[in-house]
Amino acid sequence: MSQRTASYSGRLWLALRLPDLPANALAIDLYHDAPLVIIEQRYVVWANTIAVAKGVMRGMDASTAQLLSGCVHQERQLSFEQSLLAELSAQLYAFTPYIETYTSKQVPQSGLLLEISSCLMLFGGARAFVEKIVQFFAAKNVTLAIGLAHSAQAAWLLSFVHYDIHGAESKPVFVERLQQLPIQLLHDYPAQVDALEKTGFVTFGDIARQIAAQSISSIKKRFGHEFAQTLCDIFGIDQDFQQSSLFEKPVVMYKPQEFFSEEIQFEYPINQVDQLQAPVENLLQQLADFLRKRQWETHQIEWTLADIYHSKEVMSVYADTAQSHWQLFFDLTLIQLENRDLPFEVDTLALSCRNAQPIQTQSQLLAFDSRRKHNGQAFTTTAAKLKARMGDTCIYKLSYRDSYIPEDSNQRIALNQSSNQQLPDRHLAALRPSWLFKSPIEIEVRQRGLYWRGYLTLLAGPERLQGNWWKAPSARDYFLAQRNDYVRLWVFRDLHKKQWYVQGIYG
Amino acid sequence: MNPNPPDNPQASVPDLEQLLCRRDIWRGGSHRLAPSPTRDTGYSGLNAQLLGGGWPSSNLVEVCQQGFVQSEWLLLSPALTDTQGLIVLLNPPCVPFAQALIKAGIDLERVLVVESSNKADFLFSFIELTRANACEVVLAWQPAQSLNYTELRKCQLAATGGQGLYVLFRPAAVAEQSSPASLRLTISLQAQDLQVRIFKQKGELGALAQPVLLPLPHNWQGFAPHHLLDQTGKPKSNVVHLRPQRGGRRGRK
Repeated sequence: MSQRTASYSGRLWLALRLPDLPANALAIDLYHDAPLVIIEQRYVVWANTIAVAKGVMRGMDASTAQLLSGCVHQERQLSFEQSLLAELSAQLYAFTPYIETYTSKQVPQSGLLLEISSCLMLFGGARAFVEKIVQFFAAKNVTLAIGLAHSAQAAWLLSFVHYDIHGAESKPVFVERLQQLPIQLLHDYPAQVDALEKTGFVTFGDIARQIAAQSISSIKKRFGHEFAQTLCDIFGIDQDFQQSSLFEKPVVMYKPQEFFSEEIQFEYPINQVDQLQAPVENLLQQLADFLRKRQWETHQIEWTLADIYHSKEVMSVYADTAQSHWQLFFDLTLIQLENRDLPFEVDTLALSCRNAQPIQTQSQLLAFDSRRKHNGQAFTTTAAKLKARMGDTCIYKLSYRDSYIPEDSNQRIALNQSSNQQLPDRHLAALRPSWLFKSPIEIEVRQRGLYWRGYLTLLAGPERLQGNWWKAPSARDYFLAQRNDYVRLWVFRDLHKKQWYVQGIYG
Repeated sequence: MNPNPPDNPQASVPDLEQLLCRRDIWRGGSHRLAPSPTRDTGYSGLNAQLLGGGWPSSNLVEVCQQGFVQSEWLLLSPALTDTQGLIVLLNPPCVPFAQALIKAGIDLERVLVVESSNKADFLFSFIELTRANACEVVLAWQPAQSLNYTELRKCQLAATGGQGLYVLFRPAAVAEQSSPASLRLTISLQAQDLQVRIFKQKGELGALAQPVLLPLPHNWQGFAPHHLLDQTGKPKSNVVHLRPQRGGRRGRK
């Protein structure tokens, strides 16, 4: 089998390992004068120097660490770490367009991998480039470990050992440095590392000698294709191809997060809300165009009003359902503007949208009744306008909830919830009023009889509703009553309180 | 004087036949109105009294009644059971009882309640609801502050732009006041019936002489009064004296 070391492909990778990322993400002061640890699932993933000096180590049980150092601990926030990595990637886009994020699944190690061969000329060589990167991270107060090599994996491994970067290093130098490293640094392959150690392998040099003596196929056969491929990437071994550049994996170009931000500057200051309608519509149409071209939609937009003295007022507009058209946001914006006076004479109107999402990722309830689905979609805009003006609770649906107490069985639900319409037989057979009071109203007992806005005559009943003994026992005898103006009422006598109440109206 | 008279003045003036084809031309006592969509009321007697044979769509129907609620569902539920769109209750005085709606065959998924706290919000909501094609029926209850003619006119105009049935419930006291609603009626409960009196109808001059009586459900009649059931003993008080059982299931001895 033909096997040879690939010629130097010309790629150069810079690994930026962030050993204190768990602390950086939580904005913890690295030089705090008390022991601090960050834990994940009760195990220490990061400790500051004071805690380390007191014997705390990574992987230690949280309670042991506390006993040793008396440290304060915080939970690791992976989402914060990912956000910080994304933020750093966006800023490093000014240095190179090839940026990859790496997070180990086995150990708390994360960082960024930069392919820098194409931008060396711009920055005056690898050494100058690295110096700029170091300054950038120092300004951000983020701890950095650097590795430079011919492949991303090799650069990552070399970041665990410090080497001065001269800018004249070549692949043989990198391979030589790699051979000194222990194989435990292959954190993502614990089973394979364990097996290799049992066989007597200690450093990458041992593996390199094995590959040179036999071939990579023996490792592939024993440890699997994925592990063998990783070793090939580390040593820069091209397995089968005579013209390796044809089959070289292309470097993925970093794609910065896109967002919409546009503004209109007026020729004269605006002091009336009506005058803002046309620019609002114009900006929203631009936003709709932006969203449509990317097949995106958004729940939220943000308006910024500014004057010539740099005073600013921000106004957020939210929609219940994500929108890719402008009409609903236009109506909601006008509703908000109607309810406020302009704080100053507006010189600039800006619209931004930073939380757009792809349309395909939205989930929808399965609605087999097409008419209901159509009604729901058609009413979305109206509902959003009503809520924007009168609040979220102004509009609701009704649902039946199984309960012994009538007022508890009537449930208000949000528009996107489904109503329960399964009525038990005991209710289906009984006479029920169309209107229900929020809570029962006491009835006066006069000499002539029951009185509530008129004298009542009981027409039918009683129907005993009792239960709820586990909470607040309730026993009521319900009657159909007729008032002297012929209005039919649903009245009951509370058998515990010995009091009459009216609870509903037959309408 | 118009400085630029048209070349042919006759061309810009519609003739009488064209005008009479319009649905918004009231032709007094003549019923020869352009046909407009209506909705079956579910009561043949009431259909017979209404021009077009049912509740007029795309118009404001004003129902005046004594008290704050009386018999809205009794009057309208036959027309509501076969709706395909949404039934929106705007500013209802009480909460509709889900159990009763289910029993009446009304799909709860289609019933929405909108609560407005003041007149401005009420008008805004009414107009928005009439614009929404999904709303097939809007039942609105006038807010605490009475609506004036201009506000009612706004409601009527909004209803004209919609396709559904738009009913506004108002107190009986305002029946004497002028209103732009195309159909106005009063309802009042009797011992056995619901009396419906139409006193304004677009296309009809003068109030109708005979009110329509809609029978109440038989189970609303109840039973004979308690004291009449006892044929042998002395007359008894109307107040029912109940002897509550002690405790519930757990307290029984």
